[in-house]
Amino acid sequence: MRFTYKIWHFLFLLWLIILVIRFELLINIYELIVRWAILLFNDSETAFAQLNFDLADNIVSGKLFIILPVLFFLLRKKLSFLKEKFSYASLFLTLLIISFLFAPLLTNGNPDFYKNIGMTKLLPPFTSIKVLHFKKDEANKGNSPLEKFFASRDKVIKKSFDESIIYIDSISVGEKAIYYQNGIGKETEKENLVFINGKPFITGQMFLFGSDQFGRDIFTRLIYGARISLLVGFGSVNISLLIGLIFGFLAGYIGGIFDAIFSRITDMFLSFPIIFLVVLILALFGNSLVAVIGILGFAGWMSLFKIVKTEVLSIKDKNYFISARLLGLTKSQLLTREVLPVIIVPVVVNVIFLFGNVIIAESALSYLGLGLGDNYPSWGSMIQSGQEYLSSAWWMIFFPGITLIFTLLSANSFGILLNRKLNPRLQND
Amino acid sequence: MKNRTAKLLVKRIISSIIILFLIITFIFFLVRLSPGDPSQKFISPSLSPNLAEKVRESLNLNEPLHMQYIGFLTSVIQGDLGVSYNFRRDVISVIMDYLPFTLLFTTMSFILQMIISFVLAVKSVKKINGFFDRTLSKLTLFLYAAPVFVTGVFIVFIFSELLNLFPSSGLKSYDFQDYNFLDKILDYLKHLVLPIITLSLAEIAIFYRYLRDNLEDVFNKLFVLNLRANGVSERDILFKHVIPNAINPLITIAGIELGIMLGGTLIVEVVFGLPGMGRLTIDSILTRDYPLVIGCSLAAGTLIILANLIADILKASLDRRILEGILR
Repeated sequence: MRFTYKIWHFLFLLWLIILVIRFELLINIYELIVRWAILLFNDSETAFAQLNFDLADNIVSGKLFIILPVLFFLLRKKLSFLKEKFSYASLFLTLLIISFLFAPLLTNGNPDFYKNIGMTKLLPPFTSIKVLHFKKDEANKGNSPLEKFFASRDKVIKKSFDESIIYIDSISVGEKAIYYQNGIGKETEKENLVFINGKPFITGQMFLFGSDQFGRDIFTRLIYGARISLLVGFGSVNISLLIGLIFGFLAGYIGGIFDAIFSRITDMFLSFPIIFLVVLILALFGNSLVAVIGILGFAGWMSLFKIVKTEVLSIKDKNYFISARLLGLTKSQLLTREVLPVIIVPVVVNVIFLFGNVIIAESALSYLGLGLGDNYPSWGSMIQSGQEYLSSAWWMIFFPGITLIFTLLSANSFGILLNRKLNPRLQND
Repeated sequence: MKNRTAKLLVKRIISSIIILFLIITFIFFLVRLSPGDPSQKFISPSLSPNLAEKVRESLNLNEPLHMQYIGFLTSVIQGDLGVSYNFRRDVISVIMDYLPFTLLFTTMSFILQMIISFVLAVKSVKKINGFFDRTLSKLTLFLYAAPVFVTGVFIVFIFSELLNLFPSSGLKSYDFQDYNFLDKILDYLKHLVLPIITLSLAEIAIFYRYLRDNLEDVFNKLFVLNLRANGVSERDILFKHVIPNAINPLITIAGIELGIMLGGTLIVEVVFGLPGMGRLTIDSILTRDYPLVIGCSLAAGTLIILANLIADILKASLDRRILEGILR
């Protein structure tokens, strides 16, 4: 028997790689979790006051990093997808989901981190740059749980600014330390620097996919952008699913005037370019993450509505459905017990294609400058800002563009794959 | 029969008008219920309250909502869409400035898409699962998945930055005034090459995939086997029997896609800085030019419905059996 690569091989490999590369960070995260738990027992009010998104993000991804592999191992009999053959679509989707869950573990910095723009702007991919470390002011060195928590937090959470590092070309140490940035030398006292074995402490930082016009790392921004894309995708698809399912079921089941009204509304939405409607609502009522998710969800329910309606109409007169109705099942019971199992295949396939469309729409909105703004790194806005620097920095459009295309490609082929697997009519071919 | 067709057609047109009415009603209320006041732009703090009230009155914004709606509907029925706040001109004349470009651009691209996808599909179906077929299906899947703005930016990068063949944005060169007539047309065409390629690539992928799958389906039918057994040449089978049978679903898709393109090819216009309906709509939305927003959506809705209607009529004239089904 030939050895085939399965999904769990890949997952295990990824897990190992992250474990080895980010071992120190993981240890710090677990220390942080323990510190926070101690703080919670001592002074729960302060603990909750300190709980912001970054902290929760780190805690959750640190915990999931242990829990998920254990869970997958325990439930390996039930989770049959782990034993599926490995394909490029599943590879890319896995990578996306992992960067969605473990973004803080995958990258070294904050997506908005920038410093010394003159040194770091528009660096080509695979450039390495020297980082000079200054001494930190040691304010947080108490023994109370809160101060210990602060010290541990500073080790883990990446800030969008950092006073203790500086990007340099080279350094010479004599009476005073002189470091060079873009050929200009600057003096500093020796006491300010961190010395290891009599030499100033210098590390290298690699810009894997280059940097943008503000010197921000494109790789980090891509990873965090995957979060936004997937979040918007999941959120709006769920909204579309809910609307399409409920109204489709009601239109098919009740029929009559309800059906007529909703079919007209569907026609109306279909005879108007949806992107304009989305832009209109966003421009008029303001754009935030929740608004974008809601509106994209609201804009995509028509195909689901049509599918559910036609399926419900076709099973309405079947005997099992009539007997279930006469047994006195309520409408929601009818929907969940009798209709859903029948329509699950076309609905799931449609949802996956819808997911791709939503990701396109979100990045198109960001490209037009109407998306989530500069608060979140989004692939679309990365491409938009890259267009200005087209002649000098091709990597600014290349990497987000390729990532976007591969995401959509893998979502597409995943939908086709699922259709082939679930649809009994297609299996005979 | 003819009488019946006319009846069905009238029914279809009436339902289209109802849909248009729904669209403008929906947009009207959406726009009016949104926070913000378009008259703010014309009122400076130093303006006296009396004059400010007059500005609001001239924009018809001081009446209650239902009165505004009734006034709006009566003027729409009389063919008057109001005056654009930004352009200070009749909405219809503003739209007429932008519509010809979109119509020309879209039709040129559409004809190109149809021809190319047709040729490619016929070529690849000649040897199903051959090298050409497999390469094309991979390539079109790629193009189908890629968002328009990504392919657009990539195309600009390759053809405009690396090869320096075509201009990257705009519709005219800066010394356009000095050209003679022929050069002017050439200049327009030169600026339109990249946008048309960008717009066409994605649509070609859609049309190609549909047409190719349909052609393959029809080729596998028994009547083709029968024709082959009777010694009809492959060429005749393809052009006289297979293509007429396979083309119907394509027309539906083409109608939908053409309608959406006619409503404004927003992303392509933004990438290449072209003056089309898409950008007009977006600009009117962003500057809260209410009459123009409604005018643009009405134009887009009309074009979409028209394109679908034409596609349906074409389909029905090719296949009488589905006449009643689609003209409902």
